[in-house]
Amino acid sequence: MSDTPTDRDDTDTATENADSESFFERYTTRALVAGVTVAAVIALLLAGMLFPDSLAGTLSDALTSRNTLASALRLSVPIAFAALGGIFAEKSGVINIGLEGLLIISAFSAIYVADITGGVWIGFAGGVVASTLLAALFAVVTIGFRADQIIAGLAVWLIALGLAPFASQVIYGSPNTPTVATTNSITVPVLADLPFFGALFSASPSVYMLFAAVFGSWYVFERTAFGRWIRASGENPKALDTAGVSVTRVRYAAVLISGVLAGMGGAALSLDLGQFTGNGPTMVNGKGFIAIVAYLFGNYNPVGAFFSTMLFAGLDAVQTVLQLQGIGIPRQLIRITPFVVVIIVLALVGRTQLPEAAGEHYETED
Amino acid sequence: MSAADRARDALSRLVDASATERILISTAALVLSILIGAVLVLVAGRMTTCTAGEAVYYLGMGFCYDPVVVFDRLFLGALGDPFSGSWSPNGQFAVTLRETTLLIFTGLSVALAFRAGIFNIGTQGQMVVGALATALGVLWASSLVSGALGTVVLIPFGLLVGAVFGGLYGAVPGLLKAYADANEVITTIMLNFIATGVALYLVSGIFKDPESAANQTVPLPEFAQFPALLFGGRQDFSIVALAFGLLAIAALYYVLEHTAFGYDVRTSGVQPEAAEYGGVDAKRTVVASLTLSGALGGIAGAMYVMMVLGTFQTGIPSYGFDGITVSILAGNNPLGVGIAALLFGVLKSGTTVVQFATDVPPQLVGVLRGLIILFVAMPEFFRLMARGLPGTGSKSKAVATDGGTAGDRGGETDE
Repeated sequence: MSDTPTDRDDTDTATENADSESFFERYTTRALVAGVTVAAVIALLLAGMLFPDSLAGTLSDALTSRNTLASALRLSVPIAFAALGGIFAEKSGVINIGLEGLLIISAFSAIYVADITGGVWIGFAGGVVASTLLAALFAVVTIGFRADQIIAGLAVWLIALGLAPFASQVIYGSPNTPTVATTNSITVPVLADLPFFGALFSASPSVYMLFAAVFGSWYVFERTAFGRWIRASGENPKALDTAGVSVTRVRYAAVLISGVLAGMGGAALSLDLGQFTGNGPTMVNGKGFIAIVAYLFGNYNPVGAFFSTMLFAGLDAVQTVLQLQGIGIPRQLIRITPFVVVIIVLALVGRTQLPEAAGEHYETED
Repeated sequence: MSAADRARDALSRLVDASATERILISTAALVLSILIGAVLVLVAGRMTTCTAGEAVYYLGMGFCYDPVVVFDRLFLGALGDPFSGSWSPNGQFAVTLRETTLLIFTGLSVALAFRAGIFNIGTQGQMVVGALATALGVLWASSLVSGALGTVVLIPFGLLVGAVFGGLYGAVPGLLKAYADANEVITTIMLNFIATGVALYLVSGIFKDPESAANQTVPLPEFAQFPALLFGGRQDFSIVALAFGLLAIAALYYVLEHTAFGYDVRTSGVQPEAAEYGGVDAKRTVVASLTLSGALGGIAGAMYVMMVLGTFQTGIPSYGFDGITVSILAGNNPLGVGIAALLFGVLKSGTTVVQFATDVPPQLVGVLRGLIILFVAMPEFFRLMARGLPGTGSKSKAVATDGGTAGDRGGETDE
């Protein structure tokens, strides 16, 4: 995080002209942050090559290690899936702040179903179904009964935060479940032997599913009529209504999709480890909220959201590697870095281009 | 167009939701959540295992948990079994009041921010910061004074330390919102994680009590804790603390309703555009209300340390999140917070009795917490139900007598 001072200056300038700020200026801020990050990484790698024995050397070793990429990919799976889900819901005009709850409920249900059926993929499906059901409840409450989206989203989070450990306690006598079998990773021959990038070709199935989901989401938004409807439902619901498409149905569909995607993330999270842990903030531990910041930073673009997730997950992966190498920063403090980075990123990106009608109810005029 | 329309929409909805209707909705939400909780207990009773003798039977099906017993324990148990003839001032009722006291402060913390149109999900983190600061500050100060004088000096001092540090921690998301446009829902949630992490680091390291295996600070001397007056001493309850809570309710009510600052807060909550047009400094109001909200959360932490634990220990119970439920249940009205805190205090204290009597896990209250928020957030649902069932109005009479001013004001959910 050597680039923090630069980032600070940037905030100041951004707030000075806060009144006159346009989309273009915000876009520049985002590009600047990305640029500074890339420049810092390159500088670090160069320094590491020149002075292999220094701290920079250790850091660049960590950054270029194949294990780092592998664990960054693994860590980004739940966050990126939830972020994709959040994009669908928010683009359609429903702010889904309950992603954390969807992750929690699917992480638990996946393990439970896998445990009783003995099938990992049945468990995965079970997690997705549970998350979709909770998302359906959220949809009915916010779209059908016009509840405040933020409060209903918080309720979804708190319900899952109570329900998953409750169910685990009832069924297994402890907030943590026993372990179940996990999936084997899929390895592409030859390519998997590449240095660094080989990690892309030897990963758990959920990583490949994530790639597919990122591409699929991008395709839906950029190339299909349904994607245009979702955008219109968030930006200008009246126009969509006039064009004869039901805003309500588009929003229901979008929120359900967000449930499916977040469910895939949550199920992958717990099945990857083969266990659900439900103490305190549960094993999900804020990933749903990080996902929200990831898609805001990615400007509601599925690919952008994926890369900003990789930024958070990469940071997390590097800190794990550093911990193993015994760099002298206390473990408890290293653990909070993703949360600090989220706040810094949010402060830099500031107000994002929220869809015009996000958070508002739409009344069909019949 | 949209700003003016939205403002008008918000106003008309406020007029719609009269005081009585709000109380009705909160009551209905509470009842409905408890009913769903009962169903959940039945379902859970099917999923767990027990011997045939322990099971109860409804409609020919056996259940391991009996919701009637559960709710009997939940409510009567929480009140210390007033009808059993063995009611004791040191019984469960004191626990209920202890929970109520803490919930009053976290509830007020959330309510104040809500009234300014801000979601403070960070009361939990502010409470952690306030609790740790109080534990360390009072420990340091307790070497300077002692005895009864010590109590008189140290308790206000501890509350002040908690308020200052909680307030500073609350100011962080306020500044981020006002000057960097960072959404406070996310920043406050992140700050909760950060507070817990840093507290764990400090308390497992430099501030750790060398004589304890747990991650905790050196315990405070007896005179630096809330004195047990009249009753409840064995349950870590002090009526002095409850009195502070009632005082805080009155003070916040006065500040919101009768001061210029309160006026700024309320108008910013109901109609931010109009407030700014009318000369309210929006940025300052955001920072001030989050700071004050954080201070109330910090006081909750101070209370927890000086009344309940007598030390700071990691893993502070989630009073901050419960505060969201309390505030929403109370329609974000300070007077309502008192009643909602008592109701939720009963639920919290009752679940421990339930666990003792029936094995139903105490996490049940966590589920109820979410359900209550969900139902209060959807007044439309109850309006529809009320239209279907004309007789629903009668059962809420008992609740309607207090907090009569509950609803006609309050930015509540409409940004």
